[in-house]
Amino acid sequence: MEKELEHQFVSNLERDQNIVHKICRIYTNDQASHNDLFQEVTIQLWKAYPKFRGDSKFSTWMYRVALNTAITLYRKKKRGIQTQDYDTVHFRIKVEEYDDETEQRLSLMYNAVKELNDIDKALVFLYLEDKNYKEISETMGISEVNARVKMNRVKTKLKKILNP
Amino acid sequence: MDELDLLKKDWSKQQGNYPKLTYDQIYKMIWKRSNSIVKWIFYISIIELLAATILNIVFSGDKYWEDIEKYNLEGTITILYVVSYIITFYFIFRFYRNYKRISTTDDASKLMNNILRTRKTVKYYITYVLISTGITVVGISVYMILNHSNTSADDISKYSFEAIDWVKFIGASALVLTVFLGLIWLFYRLLYGILLKKLHKNYKELKKLEM
Repeated sequence: MEKELEHQFVSNLERDQNIVHKICRIYTNDQASHNDLFQEVTIQLWKAYPKFRGDSKFSTWMYRVALNTAITLYRKKKRGIQTQDYDTVHFRIKVEEYDDETEQRLSLMYNAVKELNDIDKALVFLYLEDKNYKEISETMGISEVNARVKMNRVKTKLKKILNP
Repeated sequence: MDELDLLKKDWSKQQGNYPKLTYDQIYKMIWKRSNSIVKWIFYISIIELLAATILNIVFSGDKYWEDIEKYNLEGTITILYVVSYIITFYFIFRFYRNYKRISTTDDASKLMNNILRTRKTVKYYITYVLISTGITVVGISVYMILNHSNTSADDISKYSFEAIDWVKFIGASALVLTVFLGLIWLFYRLLYGILLKKLHKNYKELKKLEM
């Protein structure tokens, strides 16, 4: 019984692991913390898995649990001493087809996202994942209207960071 | 906002650029939590041994050894040291084995067994430290009392004890010893207690899955 559950879980996570990697990329600055967060998310997902009833898709459920883990962990860290080195090389992998100017704009933009707080990062992440407001509201546990309002605020914040 | 759309486009292009973990790598991660707790128990035991050794060297200067030689205790003390280090090394070895065992386990029921075993080892270790400290303190006190009276005190009459004084003296010593051992116990409860509690929580979670 338990072996079967384990197998199911690991196969599912193996299939959808990209979601977790992407969240790690948004919330961490270097490879080591990326791996740490990935592992922590895996443990939290596994702990919550018996409660996963399958009435939503595995990936939808994953977004929720993984983001919650990242947000909680990020909060805990904030209480301690926070060291941040912006390692954009890790955060963004170059795609050959852009010209220099686009590269630069993208790089600035990724750095701006890094400066957002934990909740705002989650919003941007879901937006980048092409989720609509209904899905965003379900994942974050807020109302749709609230999600819209919050997203607009995030856009303003990003603008301010880019053009201080 | 144009920038955000640009970012979104780039984000979807990055799809293929993420690390790809294998089934086995993910599978192992599920068990890692206990692993890191047991690793800390192992590390702490080593740090403890190092701290004890350093304290020993710092406090046992030439004077200490002169005193020991004066009382003809070199043999006994050396044996005591050797025995205590052998026992401590034995425990460190056990902690290391527990750590290795847990890091290679990939089966829930075996992991639960190992967690129980680790908890037991820690309890044995604490019991050993308490008992050995108690015996050493009592042994040294008894030896000092016996020797003191016939070596260095010139005016024995001043120190002669009535029966009631002896009772008082032994009572007070026992009290001091109890407080001392209590403090050591408290220290270990704090040091290992937190880790053991986490292990226990992990154990309970595993058990729930088992059912």
